[in-house]
Amino acid sequence: MWSSCVRTRSMLSPTTLCVCNEKTALSFLKIWFMLQYEWNRNQRFLFQAAIAFAMSHHLDLEFNVSNILVCDETPRVSFWFVVTSPDDPSRLVGKESVELAVRASRSRINNILLLNDATLEFIGVLPTLAAPVKPATPSWLIVFGVVIGIIGAGIVFLLVSTVVQKKRYVDDDEEAQMKRMAGNEGICNTSFSECDRNTQM
Amino acid sequence: MAKDARDNWESPTQFVLACVSYAVGLGNVWRFPYLCQMHGGGGFLIPYLLMLLLEGVPLFYLELAIGQKMRLGSIGAWTAISPYLGGIGLASVVTSMYLCLYYNIINAWSFWYLFHSFQSVLPWAACPVNSNRTGPMEECEKASPTQYFFYRETLNISPSIEKNGGIQTGQALCFLLAWVITYLFIIRGVKSTGKVVYFTATFPYVVLFIYLIRGMTLHGALNGVKYMFTPKMEELANPTTWINAATQIFFSLGLGFGSLIAFASYNQYHNNFERQAIIVSLINSGTSIFASIVTFAIYGFKATINYENCLDRTRILLLNSFNLAEDSITINNVFEMIEKLNTTFPEQFAELSNKLEDCSLENELSTAVEGAGLAFIVYSEAIKNMPLSQLWSVLYFFMLLMLGMGSMLGNITAITTPLRDFKFLSHVSNEIVKNIRNRIFLQSKYFGKSFCVMLVVFKGLLPKLICTNTTFFYNIAGALQAKIK
Repeated sequence: MWSSCVRTRSMLSPTTLCVCNEKTALSFLKIWFMLQYEWNRNQRFLFQAAIAFAMSHHLDLEFNVSNILVCDETPRVSFWFVVTSPDDPSRLVGKESVELAVRASRSRINNILLLNDATLEFIGVLPTLAAPVKPATPSWLIVFGVVIGIIGAGIVFLLVSTVVQKKRYVDDDEEAQMKRMAGNEGICNTSFSECDRNTQM
Repeated sequence: MAKDARDNWESPTQFVLACVSYAVGLGNVWRFPYLCQMHGGGGFLIPYLLMLLLEGVPLFYLELAIGQKMRLGSIGAWTAISPYLGGIGLASVVTSMYLCLYYNIINAWSFWYLFHSFQSVLPWAACPVNSNRTGPMEECEKASPTQYFFYRETLNISPSIEKNGGIQTGQALCFLLAWVITYLFIIRGVKSTGKVVYFTATFPYVVLFIYLIRGMTLHGALNGVKYMFTPKMEELANPTTWINAATQIFFSLGLGFGSLIAFASYNQYHNNFERQAIIVSLINSGTSIFASIVTFAIYGFKATINYENCLDRTRILLLNSFNLAEDSITINNVFEMIEKLNTTFPEQFAELSNKLEDCSLENELSTAVEGAGLAFIVYSEAIKNMPLSQLWSVLYFFMLLMLGMGSMLGNITAITTPLRDFKFLSHVSNEIVKNIRNRIFLQSKYFGKSFCVMLVVFKGLLPKLICTNTTFFYNIAGALQAKIK
């Protein structure tokens, strides 16, 4: 990995070094891969291509894979990278525009590398989370409506049936009552106002 | 047919199920496990069962006796024993009224959570995104998603009890629904209540059983169960343990509120309530113990998950700070690596020390929670980590609802029965009386959580006063009972 850095170093002016420290941090972005990711030359190439795509998309210039420089890789799979301008390889593209480009195409970069916001972190670049999905009616209101509808129907049914039963009982006058009771035993003497078969205690 | 023939339960089973439904309530699920944890695990069962024998069963039996023999609600029954004791009955009716006011709010919360379970992602599973869409909301990140959902999205809690936060529409609707359902259950008196209790008494056991199986098969559940049942016998020397055991028996069985008198008053005169009293008391205590096994299995699962997440965060922090390969630190050797890195890179490690969390399974297990916090925050946190969490969520909150509704039935019956006994009210149709009373109760939607907590804490005082007076007069009741027999 250092060999590629050295090679590019020879193309650049001596002042531009592939050393990633605090002085050059303005131009460099550090990233972390937070899972067991097989890191080799081809994966690095894919990453560079993804960043090149993001930069081209954001700035409308044509970036090449060679414009993305990766250095100081660690076993954690974290490294610094820097973007050089396509017109002038010795000039570095500012950190802010790189950040904006990454932010704009973050989901695309994630999908290219088969990672997500939790497993691929660009230090200093906050992810843009998906907007919450707001359905037209909140789903709980639908269930609530169903339940209260059923309960309301139940109450109405019970009230109506009580009223109907009471009406039927009142409509039955003495004769109908007598006929019903005559079937059981004896005849009810209607001289009593209330035909009460049970005596009060 | 005599006009004032009293309604009766269609069968003794209905009466037993009604008592079970009333006694087995939210307290069995969220208070008893907490007490068990606080007072020495398995050792707490000793004072609990002793109090059941000395205090619970006798009082339960006596209340059923009064109700069944007098065949009147609490006011009438106490007045029948002695005219000077009518005040006890009145006090219990007033207490039941206060209870009804706030108890249905908890049912409203259960409805809210139940309705919100019908979503592809449970709303308390993750924090909502903030306005910049750069990360989760700050308030939610400081607490946890489940706490945020309960305190902010459900209650929209105000900073203190003095500040009035206004009416939450969603909560008001759920509260209205809770009262409407209660009305439906009691609309025909014991005829409707008797049918409803078949379901409200038995369904919670189905869910508890399902949760027992699910809970025991969860990763880390045995940690919790072991923690709970390890007895700490020194707690028995603490008088608070015995006081709490007595209080728990008292409230768990619902003594002194007039509900048991009311239920028993609809019994046949020669019903064998002696055996039923023992059965219901034993079922109630057995359910408490059963529910606490389930709760501690869930606790153990939640504590283990939190502990492992803590270890994972520590692992990532170490990997990032020291730029090590991904597989050099695993969850199992986090602590060893901390030691190793501390010795090899002391200065770098010192910089990390304020970011490093203290991960301990004991600490996670010992955070005991009771009350609404347990039912709505801790449990929902555990549920969101289960596979197929929507199903478990629906089952769980439906069970909470059945437990709450069953207890509400008892409380409402404690109020309607004495009112019905008054001759001038029996002319008014039952439905109308209940309707009017419900409308009055709906005004209690202005109560919020702080009031609920306050009422829960203080409602106990009145029945306790009743109880101390009544135990003296229970001798009279016993003598009266012998006379009647």
